Amino acid sequence: MASVFHRLKKIAWLPVLVAGVLASCNKVDYLPVPLAVPGTAAGKTVAQVLAATPGDSLYYRLVVRSGILTANPATIIDSSLRFTMFVPDNAAMKVFINAISGGAVPLAAPDAVFSGFISANIPVASAVGLVSYNIVPQSLTTASFPSTFPNLQYPTILNPAPTLSALLRLTTFPSKRPGFAWVNNVPLTAADNVTANNGVIHEVAAVVVPPSASLWARISTDPDMTYYKAAVIRADSGTAAAPSTVGTLQGYLDNIGANFTVFVPKDSAMRATLTGQITLALIAQGVPPANAAATAAALAASPAVFSNPALYGALPPRLVQGIVAYHILPIRAFTVNLPPAPTVFYTLIGGPPGISVQAVFAGPVVSSATVKGQGNATASRVLLDPTPGTGKSDQNATNGVLHKIDQVLLPQ
Amino acid sequence: MKKFLRQGVAAAAACVLWTCCYSQSLTISGSIKNNATQDVLPAVSVAVKGSTAGTFTNEKGQFRLEFNGVLPITLVFSSIGFETREQVVNSLSRTVEVSLVPASTLGQEVVVSASRVPQRILESPVSIERVSAAAIRNSPAASYYDVLANLKGVDVITSSLTFKTPSTRGFNASGNTRLNQIVDGMDNQAPGLNFSVGGVVGLTELDVDNIELLPGASSALYGPGGMNGTILINSKNPFKYQGLSFEVKEGIMNTDAKFRELSPYHNWTMRWAQKVSERFAFKVGMELVAAKDWLGYDKRNYARTGTNGAVIPGDRATDPNYDGVNVYGDETTIDVRSNVFPGIAGQAPFLKGFLDTLNHGRPMNVSRTGYNENEVVNQNTLNYKVSGSLNYKLSSRTEAILAGHWGTGNTVYTGSDRYSLRGLKIGQYKLEINNPNWMLRAYTTQENAGESYNATVTTRLLNEAWKPSGGSTGWYAQYAQAYIGARLNGQGDFAAQTAARAMADIGRPAPGSDQFNSLLNQVRSVPISKGGGLFIDKTNLYMLEGQANLSPYTNKVADIIIGASFKKYVLNSEGTLFADSTTKIPINEYGAYAQASRSFLHDVLKLQVSGRYDKNQNFKGRFTPRATLVLKVAENNNLRFSFQTAYRFPSTQQQWINLDVGSNTKLIGGNKNFWDFYNLNNTTYELSASNPPRVTTSPYQLKESKPESVTTYEIGYRGLSFQHRLLIDAFAYYGEYSDFLYRTLLVQPFSGNVNDVVIALANNVPASNVGRIFSIPANTTSKVKTYGWGISLDYSLPLNFQVSGNLSSDNLKDDGGFRSAFSTPKYRSNITLANSGFGTGKRLGFNLTWRWQDAFYYESDFANGNVPAFSTVDAQVRYKIPDTRTAIKIGANNLLNQYYINGTGNSFIGGLYYVAFAYNVF
Repeated sequence: MASVFHRLKKIAWLPVLVAGVLASCNKVDYLPVPLAVPGTAAGKTVAQVLAATPGDSLYYRLVVRSGILTANPATIIDSSLRFTMFVPDNAAMKVFINAISGGAVPLAAPDAVFSGFISANIPVASAVGLVSYNIVPQSLTTASFPSTFPNLQYPTILNPAPTLSALLRLTTFPSKRPGFAWVNNVPLTAADNVTANNGVIHEVAAVVVPPSASLWARISTDPDMTYYKAAVIRADSGTAAAPSTVGTLQGYLDNIGANFTVFVPKDSAMRATLTGQITLALIAQGVPPANAAATAAALAASPAVFSNPALYGALPPRLVQGIVAYHILPIRAFTVNLPPAPTVFYTLIGGPPGISVQAVFAGPVVSSATVKGQGNATASRVLLDPTPGTGKSDQNATNGVLHKIDQVLLPQ
Repeated sequence: MKKFLRQGVAAAAACVLWTCCYSQSLTISGSIKNNATQDVLPAVSVAVKGSTAGTFTNEKGQFRLEFNGVLPITLVFSSIGFETREQVVNSLSRTVEVSLVPASTLGQEVVVSASRVPQRILESPVSIERVSAAAIRNSPAASYYDVLANLKGVDVITSSLTFKTPSTRGFNASGNTRLNQIVDGMDNQAPGLNFSVGGVVGLTELDVDNIELLPGASSALYGPGGMNGTILINSKNPFKYQGLSFEVKEGIMNTDAKFRELSPYHNWTMRWAQKVSERFAFKVGMELVAAKDWLGYDKRNYARTGTNGAVIPGDRATDPNYDGVNVYGDETTIDVRSNVFPGIAGQAPFLKGFLDTLNHGRPMNVSRTGYNENEVVNQNTLNYKVSGSLNYKLSSRTEAILAGHWGTGNTVYTGSDRYSLRGLKIGQYKLEINNPNWMLRAYTTQENAGESYNATVTTRLLNEAWKPSGGSTGWYAQYAQAYIGARLNGQGDFAAQTAARAMADIGRPAPGSDQFNSLLNQVRSVPISKGGGLFIDKTNLYMLEGQANLSPYTNKVADIIIGASFKKYVLNSEGTLFADSTTKIPINEYGAYAQASRSFLHDVLKLQVSGRYDKNQNFKGRFTPRATLVLKVAENNNLRFSFQTAYRFPSTQQQWINLDVGSNTKLIGGNKNFWDFYNLNNTTYELSASNPPRVTTSPYQLKESKPESVTTYEIGYRGLSFQHRLLIDAFAYYGEYSDFLYRTLLVQPFSGNVNDVVIALANNVPASNVGRIFSIPANTTSKVKTYGWGISLDYSLPLNFQVSGNLSSDNLKDDGGFRSAFSTPKYRSNITLANSGFGTGKRLGFNLTWRWQDAFYYESDFANGNVPAFSTVDAQVRYKIPDTRTAIKIGANNLLNQYYINGTGNSFIGGLYYVAFAYNVF
């Protein structure tokens, strides 16, 4: 008995060992499996790529001038972030500097002169604005540009009023058509440089200047838009809202949240149309045609025609409001965004009748553009002059784009 | 004449003397010991041969038998595990000293549940497993409930330390409603919560006399519900098991602090039974279990909303819509692009185009940040049980029992969510009169969910209480603004999501902080029906049943028993669980059964037929027949054949639940009243069980739920061989389920147009984003088929060694084309090596059990996922000190601390190590 017990004791470890081995390998999953996250790619940042591109040296100088390379938090020097930069090459920068220097820096000047001008004469705030407006947060190759009317409104990293809202941004408008791409109305000359690890660089044909004023600021100060301004004010007189507030045309045209295309008839066109319309009204009232024409010309001789109580009946606010709104598209379309074939789009009125727009292209450049109201016999020409701030077409504002035209658009 | 007179006087005297002798009250005392160890033997039956008189030895092995009769008499001493012995008593002058010789118990155990009449387990007509008090005593399992896991064909789903759900033959689930648990004749299912509470409210461990398990269909004898089996747990009778006994078990858990810090385990239990007189006895018992519970720690990402559920890649850091299996509060999710961005674009229209491009134009689902289980679920598991009975013998064969079991405590249950059952109180009280030939029992189950709460709902509401999801300054608005701001600064989606969450979570209550605790307490104390997480359940059950054994009158033809029952549920959740916000919901059931048995060919063949009819007021009546045949192929070797049927009425929850489970999903019952209330007719469409789900474009045809049923065919063999040292039990079964009850998802499109759902699903958008989801019970039209087999070998080795092993398999042959939630491993096995006494005085004993089960896919309302194969080792060594009737045990469950789960989303079970001191544990 004892010997049996001792023998059993000697082998007692065996079942324990076997059981232990069998039970020693439980595997139970309980930890989540992380999804793949984007890592930091090796290589140069867009800032470094820019610095290493001789043809972009002047723009890089502007970038340096802006201080964005040392800004906190970091932007284009941070490999973990993603940006798209619209970069004018040295030739474009020289044109820009030549223009803003008033010709003081001739186009033929050595690069060092341009560089020196940038460093010494462009205020840092201006440099920040220029550079920031040409940086879009996210990588955008032209593949993601829309080819449909009119473009993609995309925020830049430029916040014109950070204290108003952290999310406020001035926006750019990338677009493309077969063979060409633009940001706003500026053609891309060399697109989709993706050599940087944190973004895309598109070379552009000119400096894309950020807007500095609202549509209303331009309309209300342009000496050749005084009739349209007066019309807007007359239209708003029929609303209960205070001028320049939400609910008025002035308010919309001044609101940074808006995004319009305004076809502003030049004053002479407005005057001619008003004269004609008043003449017809007077004749209808029994005034002889000759007298009617003279009277009408006198009445329409100035923008005060809209504030003349004698004409309140002929130009009621609602009618004027309709005329003004008929000149506004509720979306921003630069001339390069206008379709090559006449195409009708609804205006701010919100429904029919729309206006028909068309552009004729010469390469990436619009050679002519027209817009036609449904009541017009002929299409109105867009007066092409894209000079920022003082031109007539593609006048980019904070809340839209403005094109001057040579006729009043008539809905019927 | 004188002679005649003398003879007459002598005869009269003899008569008087004889009469005096006959009516003499004899008191016989004695004691009984184990012949091998000289230990005293309690609870040994001492019966007067040829009489109904008898008694049991007390805890000291002593007996005192009062008997009207004349000497000599023959006493019969019997006890399981010992050879029965007879002894003639000629004199009252000496106490009777008897030693019983240990004998093998293999195949000798008596079971009742297989036929509702006592019979040797060898002769059971259906598969049955039995766990004796000795097996519990010698098992390494920390709780007697855990012993079930080592039985052939048994799976256990462990929701928490004290909430374990055994199942057999497939369709495992936490709180399985297809397996009845009957404790001392009382259905142990919480009538409102629908889960059996055997581990929480049942018997205290020292009061368990035996456990019998009937795998497979068993409705014919035990009524509706026994689709996959019936567990019957019987307590010790105070007339038989007397004296004070207690066991103090102290242990440790979470020893590696992998999921939770090292924590103590306490299990104290006591029982005191006293035979006050030959007619009256009583017992009381108490048990306290306290520990830091096992933790649900599955942090894997889960696709839950509007889908059928699956574990998917992703974590909190890399998936904005992360929803951890055991992380709560993160079930709140919305598509930020469609729900929040438009509001921001309205305020900042210049961003609209940009916002439209984010996430490539696809939905951007974002979940709120959740909390881990240990942070929101009460980690202190506590179970306090009290039970007792008053037993009065109306006659030598008729006993009246007034008994009660009451339990309370904290535990964790897995249903459609994880529930912190806090302060749960359930009482079961019965009055029973039983006789070998008849029985009458009335009992009630009184349920009170206490302060129990749904972890998911509560945590989601905690988040809302801290910072509402909606509104212009809500969590999602803050998240979206921070996200957009980050994107506007050049950050990619991943970084922006991270920054947005950090911003939105600023000030988030830290787990365990005063703020957190205040919010948690605030939310969990408000009923679900009033926007909180508390569910109230005061549902009660009342049952009256009786049985008569007609065999004394019919045994010339057949042994016949008949019985009947009436059951009444009274649902009362005050609108938090059921649709009973205005009134309690009564549900009545009644049934009757009969069974006839007859032996043929000198007991070579034994045929038994049974049938039961039950009717629920909400459903048509059902008849469940059963037929069994036992063929004795040799002495102690029997073949068994059975045809069994079972069914169950839809549970009370399947009939009347009305629970918002979040994510725009409502869990409702199958009662027709819901159809009108939620306008379900012709407005809902079924979502398929596939991943991702598809939607049926024709309206779902609503049908009233029906009881589900199963028909099982089984063949088995049980026999002894090798000089009664080897017990073999084997079985194979085939089952067919009809009208299988399951849950299906319907979507009710917000727009009324199902095409919105089609488009959403095609774009991987959850259906809940475009419609309201209803989870409703349904019956399959196709049959679900299962089959399986099992075999066990028990071999008695010399020197009290015993080796046992079993292997079983359950298989789903045909799932009927729907999500049947079979959730069962194909194979499982147990091997045990034990010794009941070795060494000096046979004081030492040990038990070593290895358990393994195969991997399987687990499906439940809470979570679906792969459950890996696992194996565990349980071990116990014990040392008896007979002089003081004490024993010391050292044991371990999951000795190697290899964590495992047996159901996705349930607790991770690690090692539990204990030392126990037991007194008078017999």
